[in-house]
Amino acid sequence: MNLIDKQLKKIKKEKRLGLMTHVVVGYPSLEVTESLVKVMEAAGVDFIELQIPFSDPLADGPTIMRACEKALENGVRVVDAFELVQKLSKQIKIPLLFMAYYNTVFKYGTEKFCNDARKAGICGLVVPDIPLEEEHQEHFIKYCKKAGLKNIRVVSPISTTNRLKKNAEIASGFVYCTTRQGITGAKDKLNPNISSFLKKMKKVFRVPIAVGFGISKKEHLKQLSSLADIAVIGSAIIDIVNKSAGNTAEKDVKDFLNSLSL
Amino acid sequence: MKHKGHFGKFGGRYVPEMLIPALEELEKTYLEAKKDAKFKKEFKHLLTTFCGRPTPLTFAENITKKLGGAKIYLKNEGLNPTGAHKITHCVGQALLARKMGKKRLIAETGAGQHGLATATVAAKFGFSCTVYMGEVDIQRQRPNVFLMEQLGTEVVPVKFGQRTLKDAVNAALKDYIENVKTTHYVLGSVVGPHPFPTINRDFQSVVGREIKKQIKKLEGTLPDYVIACVGGGSNAMGAFTDFIRDSDVHLIGVEAGGKGKKIGEHAVRFPGGSIGVIEGYKSYFLQDSDGQLQKTHSISAGLDYPGIGPQLAQLQNSKRVEFASVTDKETLKAFRLLAKLEGIIPALESAHAAAQAIKLAPKLRKDQIIVVNLSGRGDKDLFIVAKEFKDKNFFQFLKDYLKEENKRKENKH
Repeated sequence: MNLIDKQLKKIKKEKRLGLMTHVVVGYPSLEVTESLVKVMEAAGVDFIELQIPFSDPLADGPTIMRACEKALENGVRVVDAFELVQKLSKQIKIPLLFMAYYNTVFKYGTEKFCNDARKAGICGLVVPDIPLEEEHQEHFIKYCKKAGLKNIRVVSPISTTNRLKKNAEIASGFVYCTTRQGITGAKDKLNPNISSFLKKMKKVFRVPIAVGFGISKKEHLKQLSSLADIAVIGSAIIDIVNKSAGNTAEKDVKDFLNSLSL
Repeated sequence: MKHKGHFGKFGGRYVPEMLIPALEELEKTYLEAKKDAKFKKEFKHLLTTFCGRPTPLTFAENITKKLGGAKIYLKNEGLNPTGAHKITHCVGQALLARKMGKKRLIAETGAGQHGLATATVAAKFGFSCTVYMGEVDIQRQRPNVFLMEQLGTEVVPVKFGQRTLKDAVNAALKDYIENVKTTHYVLGSVVGPHPFPTINRDFQSVVGREIKKQIKKLEGTLPDYVIACVGGGSNAMGAFTDFIRDSDVHLIGVEAGGKGKKIGEHAVRFPGGSIGVIEGYKSYFLQDSDGQLQKTHSISAGLDYPGIGPQLAQLQNSKRVEFASVTDKETLKAFRLLAKLEGIIPALESAHAAAQAIKLAPKLRKDQIIVVNLSGRGDKDLFIVAKEFKDKNFFQFLKDYLKEENKRKENKH
């Protein structure tokens, strides 16, 4: 059984909002990424998204973009992400996912990427720039399935019903909805129309719904708890890492996660 | 059509779901416009009365004589009001944006030519306008920044990545994602997600049609060669499209050979590039084995780009378009030759195409014909060229200019 299914069941049983957090592999360093993942698991996070740094991250705002840039400056390679996961998956019980841009997958070899990711212990892939229309050429969804990976679709509030339905047909694991039309980045307030969008989402998708983009505090989680199944926190954590002076990143992230009182 | 926007295995629409509705809307609007006689008439009218089309095809008689080979003709796109071919697809896209009810235009720019053209149509059609430009490019193309600002456009420096054209594309795409309801992204080349490569090629194809008509009138025959520089490829696709079916016409794309063959010293995708999916399209890119885009260099900001239009990738694969590269040095030589012998000051981008023609012409017979698409004029390159030619008087002028300005300020205090 894919760990994602197991974790989804657990959340459902416990009748709570699940939490997915995010790290950029190699930011601020591979060592810190590794310990952050452990800190996150210990704090009760349900899923962790490990973003493979890419030179041209289309859907990311300044926070994650700069983290990617820094990781690449540090010399982080795609193979480091696989090695890190291999190491972590032996110690971590919660599902780990790769977030990547399609060129990273394509250049590695789509089928090989999926197989190697699964072998390393990855449970699902979040690749925002591979739409359904390119499946005939790329076979990304096919190779995900073949490897036993969940292919997490990313949709937004301006997706038309028609497109939501198309994505719903092939969604696996859960679906990732962005809270707003835009790029990643922590915000003070959530989109006021989020609730009507998520209600629409629930009608279209059979899989659980994860919500991300701009989520940065407890208040946001409260707001989402009745509307979604999983909340995703990305940029807000990197903002904390950025602010922590010296070696306090792990502690600061831990404090932040505890403040959300999971 | 099921597999939209593909040129063989290249092209496509590799974007996050949140951009798809806007690209679908743009595609629909364009397909309607294409069939709409009124739209076509208005586009043509603007090209004539605002842009001054057709641009002339000029026989480069002195260079031809000097080289002693094939006849060289110059398609002078530099005579467009904003100094380059870019205005053509900007007029077209502005009309589409108006049709879609958009209020704001955004664009990326490298050399500033596409930004300037977008700023121009924004002023003319009453759109607000933001242009993204890499910090490095702003430094080397200040005159265009100044002109864009005069036209009422906000020029936003892009401070991430290599701070050149590819990063400006990324910044513009992010703005587009954030503001898609009110904003149309005037993508400035035949790159990016479908339908941009098709739309810009179609608007630009007027160049090739004019060349055909003009050369037939002047020489009574088709050219043997059409040569164009290739950054993303908008001027090349403009010049080539009408000749693709004329298999006797050789089509040559000229890439930026820069200052050397090492990574980061040039922008030569053929060879050097490999297939990837970046900025929404599949094509050849200068990238490492992990798929990270590599650094590029060219003396011309407009060719300083790691990707290439997907249709050009296909035309290269099918061997319909041949590629060559020209170094910064050869480019400057061609710039000088064109100025001194023909009275035409080309943009540094376009001088790459001219340099290739200069290399090729002596090897050809005297009755053969080369058409060089001179995509822009060189006014914008004043500072770069003055620096390259170490023009003491120009530096003195700049010093005096600042001295004068400082004096004026002091007197004020």
